[in-house]
Amino acid sequence: MDQQLIQLLVNGIAVGSIIALSSVGLTLTYGILRLANFAHGDFMTLGAYFTLVINLLGVNIWLAIALGSVLTIGIALLSEKLLWAPMRERRATSTTLIIISIGLALFIRNGIILIWGGANQAYDLPVASALDILGIRVAQNRVVVVALAVLVIFGLHYLLQNTKIGKAMRAVADNVDLARVSGINVEQVVIWTWVIAAGLTAVGGGMYGLITAVRPNMGWFLILPMFAAVILGGIGNPYGAIAGAFVIGIAQEVGTYWIPTEYKLGIALLMMVLVLLVRPQGIFRGTL
Amino acid sequence: MQGFIVSLVIFTSIFAIFGLGLNLQWGFTGLINFGHVAFMAVGAYATVLLSLNGVPLILAALVGGGLAALLGLLIGLSTLRLRADYLAIVTIGVSEMVRLVALNEEWLTRGSFGIQRFPLPLANFSPTLLTRLVMILLVAGVVALGYWRLWKWLRQQVKQAPQSVLTRASLAALGYLTSLSLLLYGGGVAARQLKAANVLPPWLLGVGLLGGLAAIIGLYVWLAQRMSSKMSGWSTGLLLVFTGVLALLGFWILGYALSAIYNYDSNPSKTGLMVISVLLVALTYWGLERLVNSPWGRILKAIREDEEVAKALGKNVFWYKLQSLMLGGLIAGIAGALYAWQLTTVYPDNFQPLVTFNGWTIVVLGGAGSNAGTLLGSAIFWAYQTVTRFILGDIVPLDDARLGAFRIMVIGLLLMVLMIWRPQGILGRKEELTLGR
Repeated sequence: MDQQLIQLLVNGIAVGSIIALSSVGLTLTYGILRLANFAHGDFMTLGAYFTLVINLLGVNIWLAIALGSVLTIGIALLSEKLLWAPMRERRATSTTLIIISIGLALFIRNGIILIWGGANQAYDLPVASALDILGIRVAQNRVVVVALAVLVIFGLHYLLQNTKIGKAMRAVADNVDLARVSGINVEQVVIWTWVIAAGLTAVGGGMYGLITAVRPNMGWFLILPMFAAVILGGIGNPYGAIAGAFVIGIAQEVGTYWIPTEYKLGIALLMMVLVLLVRPQGIFRGTL
Repeated sequence: MQGFIVSLVIFTSIFAIFGLGLNLQWGFTGLINFGHVAFMAVGAYATVLLSLNGVPLILAALVGGGLAALLGLLIGLSTLRLRADYLAIVTIGVSEMVRLVALNEEWLTRGSFGIQRFPLPLANFSPTLLTRLVMILLVAGVVALGYWRLWKWLRQQVKQAPQSVLTRASLAALGYLTSLSLLLYGGGVAARQLKAANVLPPWLLGVGLLGGLAAIIGLYVWLAQRMSSKMSGWSTGLLLVFTGVLALLGFWILGYALSAIYNYDSNPSKTGLMVISVLLVALTYWGLERLVNSPWGRILKAIREDEEVAKALGKNVFWYKLQSLMLGGLIAGIAGALYAWQLTTVYPDNFQPLVTFNGWTIVVLGGAGSNAGTLLGSAIFWAYQTVTRFILGDIVPLDDARLGAFRIMVIGLLLMVLMIWRPQGILGRKEELTLGR
């Protein structure tokens, strides 16, 4: 196979693992809270900026990503408290929630510009030489990104399958009312959903900052591939979202072999529309 | 000043038309179109490119609108059969794709260099006195029609309240508004002095300003709540005063607009565009009002409230949604032609997703499902844009990029606050909409 094609494939896997981390969060809030959160990408950006601030204080990058995701979880819980919980209480329609999420997206993104400015920024990192694997040059960061993503995904799998809260989350995603009458504390599940969703998304954002610049638009531009991954994998199905994310990420990067790089987004869009036309419930079984 | 008012009227009219298209889709049919700017972009580029190749302007604009409607057909065919939120995701993606195509297909759109020096309507038109008088009459007639409707509406609103209650409430409301504006004005002047004197660190001034603004808003919201429970006819009084202020403002702007038409030759292309846009707003408004009050419009509302009911009555829901999406797209395409003529240079960056959300703010603020509300929303939105652009810079200790970000933050906050506390906007009818429940 062509050298360049393999290079693109490797890039695709790296991008795919970042989309995977953040689209798991998106699919959980979509499936469990019935919220198509257009501000999700901006939570990702927020994670990257928190990481940047902590990193520039001289903290090690991996610790900074972890601390950044804790801060992002705080913001997400704040939005749950101020926005989503009251709106769910009133049984607001999903369209109302979508419009609120767009307002929140504008608010967060421009708040980031207000505080940190609109320029591209970068982490303070030691220069690492690229690894040479069978003649393919791979930046070390990308290898770490993929490894970390796989680790997080296994952690999530353990959580969903083997812990009590994970089972409760799956039950709520299936049917809220049924879960409630069988004694599951739905409020607690909601909190945990936000913790996991925002935490994974912020980790994704922090790592995205490793392979590109940290800039206010970074998450917003990923929102479409994320939604594409979620729909591809069936809404509410985290495994589906991960698979969808790798498909989208790889297709986007490898597709640039034939079409101009600028139209990457078009590949995600096209795949999403095709899935909607052929199999609107997604490739795997979703909860919605 | 005259040129500035003319340009403001044009922008308000263009976004009123743009918003009317969105209001048809969202306000009347319940379609979440997050890519409305795509229709505008298609309309603008098609008009400009066709007219550069010698197609007459009217025809070019119509073709632009038609292409925008065609885009609506494509989007609709792929998503309208599915859940409502898929439409939101696909439209936002399509609008970004349209912008990317405009940015990268340089053979067609000249990419980020933008298209300049395209033909503008009525640019070489030098009207005789008689023609100018006719134009003045037309614009004044449209405005008079608007005032007449406003008057009729106001009469209906105050019908129940007795004269004495109304007078008392209006006086109280006048005092309320006057004190509020004086307080804001005083705060603004004080902040400007402070900023010029440079005695406080910027962050302290900023925090102080935000705190002061929050305190004033809190105080006046509390006052309004107290008054509305204590004083009968308070809300009617407030309404009367508000309408009065708006009507006076309207007259003031009308004066500038008419004198601009009288001195047509001093700025022919802008003045001509103003006349065209005002007439087009009136035409669109009139056409949409007729449509939404026809059986067709009632079916759209039925679909918005409960698709299943419309389906059970044997209506082809998909087909009606498609019509609504396409017609709204056509209207936005025409608005795009006007937008291109107003900007005189078309860049892909003029069609950022933010434009869509500005349109959403206009519709949600004015009231979903109310065409008059959309017009009001557009006026308020552009008043906000103008005031913040020209006044805030002197008051707030921020550089230009951050100030722009702050203004958009306010828009986002407004969208959230409106959807939480007043999903029906200013003029929407709560009893009719299930949007907030």
